[in-house]
Amino acid sequence: MATNSPPSIHHERPPLYRDVTVVKWVVQIVALLLTLGALWFLANQAGDNLRASNVPTDYDFLSVNPGIDLSSGIDTDPDTGGRALWVGMVNTLRMAVAGILVATILGVIVGLARLSNNWLLKKIGTVFVETLRNVPLLVQILFYGAVFASLDRVTADVGPINGWLHISNKGLSMPRAHIADGFYQWAVVLLIGLVVANFLRKRRIAQQDATGEETYPILSAFGLMVVVAIIGWFIHPIFGFIGNIFEALSSLVSSVPETVLQLVIGALCVGSSAYWIRGFLNSRRTPAGLAKLTDDDYFRMIFAAVGGVIGAVFFLVLWPGLSSWMINSASDLFEVLGNKFGNGRSGRPLDVDLPNIVQTGKFPNYGPSGLNFSIGFAAVFFGVVFYTAAFVAEIVRGGILAVPKGQTEAAASLGLRRSTALRRVIIPQALRVMLPPLGNQYLNLTKNTSLAIAVGYSDIVQVGQTVYNQTGKTLPVVSIWMFFYLSCSLSISVIVNFFNVRMKIVER
Amino acid sequence: MQEEDPISVALKEEQVSPNEAPRLSVLQWFRTNLFSNWANAILTILGTLAAFLMLRGVLNFVFSENREWVAVRTNLRALMTLSYPESQYVRVWVALGFVVGLAGLSAGIWSNWGGLPLRRLATWFMGVGGLIALCVVVREPSVIIGTDGKVVRTIEGSPQRESFMDAMVDRSGWWIAAVILLAVGAVLWSRFSSPVRRRGPRAELSITSVVFVGIGLVILSLWVVPYGHYAFVDGTYIAESGTTVAFSTQMPWTVMWVILGLTFLVGRFLRSSRYVGMAKTGSNLLWLICPFALFWVVLRDPALDYGHVMSTDLPMGLAFGLLGGAVLWLLTRSDIGEIGRITATALLVFAVFNWVAAFFGWYPMLQKARISFLLLALAALLAPNFIGDTAKRRQLVLGWLGVMALVHYLATMINTPSTVDLQSDEFLGGLGLTLFVAVIVVILSFPLGVLLALGRTSKFPIFRMLSTSYIEVIRGVPLISVLIFFSVMVPLFLPDGMELAELAAVLTGYTLFSAAYLAENVRGGLQSITKGQYEAADAIGLTAAQRTGFIVLPQALTVSIPQLVGQVISSFKETSLLAIIGLFDFLRVANSVIPAQSEFMGVKREGILVVAMIYFFFNFIISKYSQRLERRVGLGER
Amino acid sequence: MNIDDATAAANDRLADRDDMIVCVDVDKFYGDFQALKGVTATIKEGEVAVVCGPSGSGKSTWIRCINRLEVHQGGDIVVDGIELTNDLRNIEKIRSEVGMVFQQFNLFPHLTVLDNITLAPIWVRKKPRGEAESMARALLERVGIPEQAEKFPGQLSGGQQQRVAIARSLAMEPRVMLFDEPTSALDPEMIKEVLDVMKELAHSGITMMVVTHEMGFAREVADRIMFMEGGEIVEVGTPEHFFTNPTEDRTKLFLSQIL
Ligand SMILES: Nc1ncnc2c1ncn2[C@@H]1O[C@H](COP(=O)(O)OP(=O)(O)OP(=O)(O)O)[C@@H](O)[C@H]1O
Ligand SMILES: [Mg+2]
Repeated sequence: MATNSPPSIHHERPPLYRDVTVVKWVVQIVALLLTLGALWFLANQAGDNLRASNVPTDYDFLSVNPGIDLSSGIDTDPDTGGRALWVGMVNTLRMAVAGILVATILGVIVGLARLSNNWLLKKIGTVFVETLRNVPLLVQILFYGAVFASLDRVTADVGPINGWLHISNKGLSMPRAHIADGFYQWAVVLLIGLVVANFLRKRRIAQQDATGEETYPILSAFGLMVVVAIIGWFIHPIFGFIGNIFEALSSLVSSVPETVLQLVIGALCVGSSAYWIRGFLNSRRTPAGLAKLTDDDYFRMIFAAVGGVIGAVFFLVLWPGLSSWMINSASDLFEVLGNKFGNGRSGRPLDVDLPNIVQTGKFPNYGPSGLNFSIGFAAVFFGVVFYTAAFVAEIVRGGILAVPKGQTEAAASLGLRRSTALRRVIIPQALRVMLPPLGNQYLNLTKNTSLAIAVGYSDIVQVGQTVYNQTGKTLPVVSIWMFFYLSCSLSISVIVNFFNVRMKIVER
Repeated sequence: MQEEDPISVALKEEQVSPNEAPRLSVLQWFRTNLFSNWANAILTILGTLAAFLMLRGVLNFVFSENREWVAVRTNLRALMTLSYPESQYVRVWVALGFVVGLAGLSAGIWSNWGGLPLRRLATWFMGVGGLIALCVVVREPSVIIGTDGKVVRTIEGSPQRESFMDAMVDRSGWWIAAVILLAVGAVLWSRFSSPVRRRGPRAELSITSVVFVGIGLVILSLWVVPYGHYAFVDGTYIAESGTTVAFSTQMPWTVMWVILGLTFLVGRFLRSSRYVGMAKTGSNLLWLICPFALFWVVLRDPALDYGHVMSTDLPMGLAFGLLGGAVLWLLTRSDIGEIGRITATALLVFAVFNWVAAFFGWYPMLQKARISFLLLALAALLAPNFIGDTAKRRQLVLGWLGVMALVHYLATMINTPSTVDLQSDEFLGGLGLTLFVAVIVVILSFPLGVLLALGRTSKFPIFRMLSTSYIEVIRGVPLISVLIFFSVMVPLFLPDGMELAELAAVLTGYTLFSAAYLAENVRGGLQSITKGQYEAADAIGLTAAQRTGFIVLPQALTVSIPQLVGQVISSFKETSLLAIIGLFDFLRVANSVIPAQSEFMGVKREGILVVAMIYFFFNFIISKYSQRLERRVGLGER
Repeated sequence: MNIDDATAAANDRLADRDDMIVCVDVDKFYGDFQALKGVTATIKEGEVAVVCGPSGSGKSTWIRCINRLEVHQGGDIVVDGIELTNDLRNIEKIRSEVGMVFQQFNLFPHLTVLDNITLAPIWVRKKPRGEAESMARALLERVGIPEQAEKFPGQLSGGQQQRVAIARSLAMEPRVMLFDEPTSALDPEMIKEVLDVMKELAHSGITMMVVTHEMGFAREVADRIMFMEGGEIVEVGTPEHFFTNPTEDRTKLFLSQIL
């Protein structure tokens, strides 16, 4: 054994300016303060300059009639600025969802074509991809717009199928299915059906696993859904009582005193930071008692605590209106829901209208009853679909190439049929690598719909631009854009992450 | 090593190993590649049909009697440079000549392009020839133009078309071209078809000479064929009738071609001389400086007030250069110790304070002086790294002198009013503006992106938080909203009526936006650096800055070259958004300037198509080049 | 000679030397897992100490704490009179006093062998390039690969790479060299060339702390062998003591497995 007794060590604390931990945190905090300071300073300065040039930045325009007409959307003559922006958001989302669906399908087809052993298909796929992804999206959109604008004028009796489908320089008009009176009650029926169908599917799968015979879980669940939907079509009015529940909720919420909610919010802030600190301390606990905490650990806990307190102070003192706003909007929401689900609604859940052509001024145009796609929509739609499809195709191709050849061979050696091997072995693995970049592309597509501004499709950016041209409130509008797009991005990444995690579990 | 994105790996591997199929007879080839089974046969037929219809549609669109290509030809100058004044146009050529020369020089110094197998060339010839023949047949016969110059119409009013045979005869020029190409291709093919038998020096041409001769042929054609039309600017034809675009540009283009050849030879010479290292550094530096210099010095032609230059600018530059150099010389003494750091920090505080003071107007100090002080402070912070022998100290001081000379020169030039007499607000537009914005954005966003990436991967939680939130916010919103935001915000902070305010706003927005994406690409590279590299750097005592500069970044950037090139391409494509926010890039010229001219009312599609082709050309070349580069860097080597 | 006498003699021989590395009660935690449990040891100037023990016993963790690649959370470490604290200056000093050789070499793949070696002398020790280069060539000579100076690490064999790594550490003229399983990533025929270099080093009088399973090396050059398990030093002794008469059962078990 070592015979030397441990020598005594003379400890000395280093001076502050040489202490790693101190330097590290001082640098960071100074950087943080500098950044915040610079931002605050710039914002302040901008505010002053804006006031000096008489452009106040407030959000009043949201509740004032902007006096603008929109080219398309759920409400082409909105009566407040907020409503106008809302219409724009709906248009953007519509475009994004439709675009994502079609671009995915097209992209998968092209990607598979590039992988096929048919020389011609491969070449066509390559030309498609190389052309479309090397030309800027905006150029494509403008080109499609120019092409559509040179189609024939709209007249009352043209169109491939008169009365049902019209194509002209005003765009495309076709029959429209829309939500009618009894839709929400019917939706409740569908929801119940969905739960039951899912249960059925799981049972059938269990049965198949147990007995080994084919029980068609998906098919039977789907059949059940159809049956429920049909039955629900007729019996949905019996769910009218749900409206009453929502109304009761509404009055319940509006009776919550503001101070209580305020205190709850404050407590939540403090509580969550306390909870975090507790969890942190627990993670530092060892069987032999609490591990020695480093200075970093202390700093982190102090930060969490300070953050919690700042949050509480912010909500309690600086922004007391929050609680009343929350209470009001929640109660409004429940009231609207109560109305939608209410008893008096017994009509059909869905309805269909045919296109009509009206002559308002000198020129005929599509009337509001059909489902109209303006040329703006078509240009943006084709633009984002083709452009994104080119990228999706590459992702699909790469994803499938990324599955090692051995997997196919292994599946074959197990005696799986080619289609089964594809479905059960190749695609699940390819999907796993494809998903993150696909999510990225969907995000890009959503952001790219903003180029609608170039062809006058009323998406959020175009509407916003019209609004600020009218009111001069550029910065508030820009802030709403950013908020909207950030929420979209966040939702898409959450969805993609969800599937990603599921895939990984499936794989294990 | 951190795993790379599996998709790009898979795609790359496919590229590297194209399945070396055994050589088949024509019939066998058709059998295996097109009609291997029933489904395949049906797909082939459908595909042929689709391709046929598509090709016919495109050809009929392009050659339709309704197309007004003359609008594009007439506006070529507007598309390239918008309304740059005719009298000063030689400046544009000088700028272009400089870039061309630099390109030739770099190609000479760096190029290692290898050879182009004649067999491949033969395939290209035959492919193009075949395609032309196909197009000639596929395109529908042209309409008949009557003696009055109008389209002859049938009784129902649709235009009357010539017969198929007449059409073929009319297009005999195309036929001849197709046949020549096919014949040349076939001859080459038959002589060099077997790569094994004739693998000798003769079976390959050097790519550089092919490119050079190709460009030369295109330029030669300017002397023979009078392409183009009168130039049309600001509502009037500016060239005399009979003058075509070809005539007015054949001379300058020829000069460009000669410059390209000469500088290439110079580059070649330098490459084999012993100054090659210096030449490489020099040409890189020139590339870095030339966008700024060309734009602000050559194209703007500042009107220098020489009295002021002699009395103020020159002495100031000299003072900063010499005094700063002396300070740096002292700071790199080996016995400097703590005093060096303290001095540098004090300088930094002073330099930052100057900017704050200037902002509040406490005391006036020329912008140039403020910039110089800031640079001096940064150099002083770097000084400890240059402590050592005289050579190293001299490096720092000489570097400082060079930077000072350049900064003061450019600052003087930028602050001097332009003599170019402009017909509109737009100083430069068209493709010139697009390229300028793209290049500047790439140059400026690079350091910012690298910093953000370092921040996002740093051990310091607050830096990480700051850069992560910046990157994610920027990546979450569309570029157009960022651009609009900055075109509102930036003018608020600029002195009233500053020329180029819009451009400054746009450049800021683009740079900040593109930096966030660039940061993500660099981060990918940073994550591929193993922990062992950091530990080894720490263990031999490098400081964090040295570790980053010498070990981490060089490797990370090499790894992320493909993604960085991809980012360059995206940035270039995104410059098209200039058209939306009020700058006259060439897309805007095609989309709104040309259609607004009374002669070409509403003629949009032609111009946009040309713009699309130019974008395609650039992007395609860059992406192909990056693929080559990647293949050369090698997959397995890392 | 009695074996315990030998240990005592070795201790005597080292006793009048200065302490080079002193560890007192060193604790290290990864989350709630304690990787080092009160490690206490002293290594004298010029001593060659071999650390061995089963996988996961904390050998790497300990050796990495000594040049602060890992930060210990309890106890004290003093190297050549410099205490490892949060003091920036001390960390800088330690890093240039202590060289380290890794299991995976960790050469810089984008620099030539020569640049790998001269990087630190030029930028940390502020040596003129010419001087640094001639020293680097001398070191390459010493580790037996003078002809590889202009190559990149990727072009060398494992054994050559490890020898470059040793040269790179030596270029800083360290007073202590740490080796963390320098030969375990190597093919058997390359192990010897690295061990030879290490033996030569050991005889040159530099202080060395070596984590290794090469018992032949340990027997031949070690002044003392330390056996670790479960984050603790279980047994310390001269090679004779360690191989012929280990006191602890765990050491015996380990030796029976490895020999
Ligand atoms: N970064 C880390 N995070 C968490 N645990 C770690 C970390 N590094 C090491 N450990 C744990 O600490 C213990 C000691 O690890 P160490 O690497 O020191 O072992 P070792 O004795 O060097 O083993 P080997 O002979 O396999 O190299 C191990 O149980 C290991 O799992
Ligand atoms: Mg280990």
